[in-house]
Amino acid sequence: MLSEIVFYVNDSKVSFIGDPLTRLIDVLREDLHLTGVKEGCGEGECGACSVLKDGKLVTSCIIPVGAVSGSRIYTIEGIRDTEKGRCIIDAFAEGGAVQCGFCIPGMVMAAYALLSSNPHPTETEIRKGISGNICRCTGYDLIVESIRLASEKGGDLWA
Amino acid sequence: MGMTYVPTTLSEALHLRAEKGARPLAGGSDMMVQSKRGIALAPEFPYPVMIITSIDELRGIRVLDDGSVEIGALTTAAEIAASEDVPWHVRMAASGMGAIALRNSATIGGNIGNASPKGDLPQPLIMLDASVVLSSIHGERRMLLDDFILGSKRTALSDDEIIRSVIIPPHDFTYSFYRKIGMRKANAISKLSLSAAALVKDGEILDFRASSGAAGPKVIRSQDAEKMLEGHMVSEIPELLPAFLEAWNNAISPHAMPLYRRNTTKRMLSFFLSEISSGAEEGIIGGGEE
Repeated sequence: MLSEIVFYVNDSKVSFIGDPLTRLIDVLREDLHLTGVKEGCGEGECGACSVLKDGKLVTSCIIPVGAVSGSRIYTIEGIRDTEKGRCIIDAFAEGGAVQCGFCIPGMVMAAYALLSSNPHPTETEIRKGISGNICRCTGYDLIVESIRLASEKGGDLWA
Repeated sequence: MGMTYVPTTLSEALHLRAEKGARPLAGGSDMMVQSKRGIALAPEFPYPVMIITSIDELRGIRVLDDGSVEIGALTTAAEIAASEDVPWHVRMAASGMGAIALRNSATIGGNIGNASPKGDLPQPLIMLDASVVLSSIHGERRMLLDDFILGSKRTALSDDEIIRSVIIPPHDFTYSFYRKIGMRKANAISKLSLSAAALVKDGEILDFRASSGAAGPKVIRSQDAEKMLEGHMVSEIPELLPAFLEAWNNAISPHAMPLYRRNTTKRMLSFFLSEISSGAEEGIIGGGEE
C-alpha cells in the first residue's frame, strides 16, 4: 500500500511515497544515501543505526517510516558539521576512540544525545549513555574517555 | 500480506480496527523485530497493520482525582521512567527495559499487548492492581491487567478493541523491593524479576504483595500467599516465612531452568521479608537497581 509520509531529515523536508512499514534505516540509506547510518543487528540491539528523532536517540532499524510523520530526524551527516558534532568527532579522534569505525556513527549520536541532556556526565552516566551501542573493537574505554573529553572541551557548548 | 494504515485520530484507528481488522503497531521494538526480513526489506505481517504513533490522544501520564495514575498506551518506557507521578516499582521496570534508544521507542501499550511472560512492565503493574482501559467503536471497558493477560502472548483483547491506557490505583508502602535479573544491564531480556511491597503500621503488616515475572506463562501473583502475612506482626515473620515461601513456590511455574528460578525467587522474597523483620529502615530494600 502506498502512503505519503512527510518528515524532516537533517533540516531538509522529505516526502516518502511507499509502504509505511519500510524501515526508517532503509529510507535513510537507500533513498537518501545517508550511509553513515549503519545496519548491524537489524533488531534494535546494537545501536549502529542510531539517529535522533525529535531530539531523542532511537534505532532506525526498528522504526517504520510511517511512525516518523512530522518528525525531525538527524543522522551523523546532519550533525557532523555543527559545532557540537565537530566537538564530539574531534574528541573521538584525539582520544583514539575509533578502530574499525562501524559503530562510531551510532556512538557519536548516542554521545550527542547524552551531552545535550547532561553536559557533564560521570563515567557511569557515560557508560549508561552508550549502553545500547555495541563496539567489538575497542573495549569501550577510549570511547568513554573521548566522550568525557568532548564534555570537557565543549564547555558552554553543552550547557 | 495485509494492508498498512497510518491513522491520526483514535476514532479513525477504532474504525480501522473494527472494519479492517488492523492491528496496532507503536514503538516497533517487538513487532518490527518479530517480522523482520532483512536489509532493505520492509517487514511483512500476515494481517493488516496500523501504525498508531501519530495519535496524540493515546500519549501522556496524568494523575486522576482519586490519586490513580493513568498512562496512555503510547507513552514510552523513557517517559514512564522519568515521571515522578508513576509509582516507583513501575519506574524501576521501565528504566531497566532495553537501552536508551529502545526506551525512547517502546510503549506501555505494546509491552502489555505483546503479553510476553518476560515483559518488564506487566510485572509491577499486576502487583499494583493496575487495570487496562480498552476502547472500541462501541465504547470503553476497563479490566484488571491480571485478567487481561491470559497467558504467554495471549490477552482478552477483542477483535475490535485497542488498548487505550493503563490505570494504577494509589498505594502507600512502607517497604518496596524490585529486582530484574538479566544477562547484562542493558538490552537484556528478563531472566527473572520480582516486585514486592509491604505496608507496616505499628509493627503490623497491613498490606503485603509481590509479583514474579518470567516465572510462568504470565506474571504470577499469589493472593493466598500474600494473605498468610497480612494482619500479622512483623515479629512473626521468621515463623511465617517457611510456609509463605512454600506457598509462593507452589504458585510459580517456571518452564526453563526451574530450579534456578525457584531458588532465586525464594532468596529474593526471603531477603525482603528478613530485612523487614530485622527492623530495616523504611523505604527501598536492597537499593533497587540503578
